[in-house]
Amino acid sequence: MARLLRVDMTRREVKFTDVPEKYALLGGRALTSRIVADEVPPTCDPLGRFNKLVFAPGLLSGTNAPSSGRLSVGGKSPLTGGIKEANAGGITSQKLANLGIKAIVIEGKPAGEGWFLLKITPAGAELLDAGDLAGKGTYEVTAICRERYGSKVGVITIGPAGEMLLAAAGVTNNDPDGNSSRYAGRGGLGAVMGARRLKAIVVDSPKTFDAPVKDPEKFKAAAKKFTAILRKHPVTGEGLPNFGTSVLINVINEAGALPTRNFSAGRFARAQAVSGEKLAETAVARGGKATHACHPGCVMRCSNVYPLPDGKVCAPIEYESDWALGPNLEIGDLDVVGRLNYICNDVGLDTIETGVTLGVLMEAGVIPFGDGEAAIKALEEVGRGTYLGRIIGSGAAVAGKVFGVTRVPAVKGQGLPAYDPRACKGIGVTYATSPMGADHTSGYAVATNILKVGGYVDPLKPDGQVDLSRNLQIATAALDSTGLCLFVAFAVLDDPEGLPAIVEMINAQYGTQLTLDDVTELGKQILRTEREFNRQAGFTKEHDRLPEFFALEELPPHNTVFDIKGEELDQVYNF
Amino acid sequence: MEVEVRVFSGLEKFVPGAGPGKALLVQVPEGATGRELIAQLQIPSDQIFTMFVNGRHALPEQVLQPGDRVALFPPIGGG
Repeated sequence: MARLLRVDMTRREVKFTDVPEKYALLGGRALTSRIVADEVPPTCDPLGRFNKLVFAPGLLSGTNAPSSGRLSVGGKSPLTGGIKEANAGGITSQKLANLGIKAIVIEGKPAGEGWFLLKITPAGAELLDAGDLAGKGTYEVTAICRERYGSKVGVITIGPAGEMLLAAAGVTNNDPDGNSSRYAGRGGLGAVMGARRLKAIVVDSPKTFDAPVKDPEKFKAAAKKFTAILRKHPVTGEGLPNFGTSVLINVINEAGALPTRNFSAGRFARAQAVSGEKLAETAVARGGKATHACHPGCVMRCSNVYPLPDGKVCAPIEYESDWALGPNLEIGDLDVVGRLNYICNDVGLDTIETGVTLGVLMEAGVIPFGDGEAAIKALEEVGRGTYLGRIIGSGAAVAGKVFGVTRVPAVKGQGLPAYDPRACKGIGVTYATSPMGADHTSGYAVATNILKVGGYVDPLKPDGQVDLSRNLQIATAALDSTGLCLFVAFAVLDDPEGLPAIVEMINAQYGTQLTLDDVTELGKQILRTEREFNRQAGFTKEHDRLPEFFALEELPPHNTVFDIKGEELDQVYNF
Repeated sequence: MEVEVRVFSGLEKFVPGAGPGKALLVQVPEGATGRELIAQLQIPSDQIFTMFVNGRHALPEQVLQPGDRVALFPPIGGG
């Protein structure tokens, strides 16, 4: 029987409890958002004692379902002030599911200055002193824990940024090789973990694929069918495995939607120098890897291993990080991007928020655009806790206020990812309206606007974008509950057999009779829950807007503005 | 007439002198379509997933204009 693991940091107690009936068919984002909505007062201080941090594997995590090892992390965000679910690859989700843990709920905060480590094994869970890990970067913490508890353990941890309670701090866990680079990065959940004085969670499970399944034969057949669907689709079967995510640099650049120089242009002259093709070539030439799986059982293997000139390894450099720390800063050098990415991973920062923040600092003239060495030097200040370092770790909206910058690309306090909403208007609708703040993963309209997956809606026109974003946000919320990687959506959007195969797997695992309509309803329910939390936290529909410069400043080369009106954006939630 | 062509993500192996993202100046007959350009470059048409002309999606039958910037991609995704 699956259980909840409740960790009371105030009393330093751990206990396993039964899963309430109402949570039985929830997983991943559906479960983290439900628990946060049920147990966290929406008006609470995200860093105070009433906030909670929730970890949940997806419904299918820990089984043989392909690419199903995603981990959801939820809480009230110190960056946005709203509900947050951040989602990571890595190996701990499958381990938690195999230990029969449906969710970990971290609550309260201890008195005093101590730091703690939560150790979870098949025998149970215990809180240990972690004073010796405090102040250390995530790579070192992960290496120490693997040395101490075994090389196969999963290590969830925060870096110094999380310990300093900085609002752009993420929560990381490691890949099969021990790289602590698989981040639930967005929204500052690292600071929520730091506020509970929890430095790390070590998950030791001998099993990866043996989570209980009610009807193994049926499950096996459905998983096989779904694997074939992923292998057959050109993006999940060829594109992602061959080139990884950074291959998007060129296509988004050609589409004129690659935010360059803090969202002032849509094309970067040196895009090729930071492209996925260049990354793959350099990685392989240096003994790294152009393709790599972030968790066992992934068939897309879109990750990479990029050796840096200083002997360190950045694994991976993903598209969003590549863009945020490259073109967004007018930096056309993958070694600089890799170095910045590595520092973010080590100090414990979200790469997207950090890149957007550095862009704002460049806009302010604090660092020159294109100056990689200055960017590295500034970023290194985060770990030292200098005033500039703390500003960088606090995100783009804070940095904009400190330096009086008006071109601050953020919604609900969260920095925009790697697609300019003036040249990819569907994603602009998602940025504006997602309960998460500006988040590309919560309704990836780029697929349909630019990659021509799941149909085609012209990225430069306002028509059809609201409907597109709404449908994607509903489907994504449901998908984020399964533990499946979001990238399966490329196949699911095009192949009518895709979604039924997912539902078959869930039904076989849980002995349920869910239909496709139930899945859509689950997605709607999650969004309603998250939006209601935000409403009670003080958000109104007027917060579902992009910064005004997107409506005022034309973006070259297409010279378009974001022209979807507020009342149209409000229609996203008419379900 | 001349058009500016870029091929990406592995398509360069079909085109002599191409590198990923390198701008190639290609002579095509007046009124040539995207499909004819692809045939002239000897790229198997099933390898092309997306064609942009001047940063906008184009269908294979689109008639090219002098100086057009054409970009050709195989299936790719990410995010």
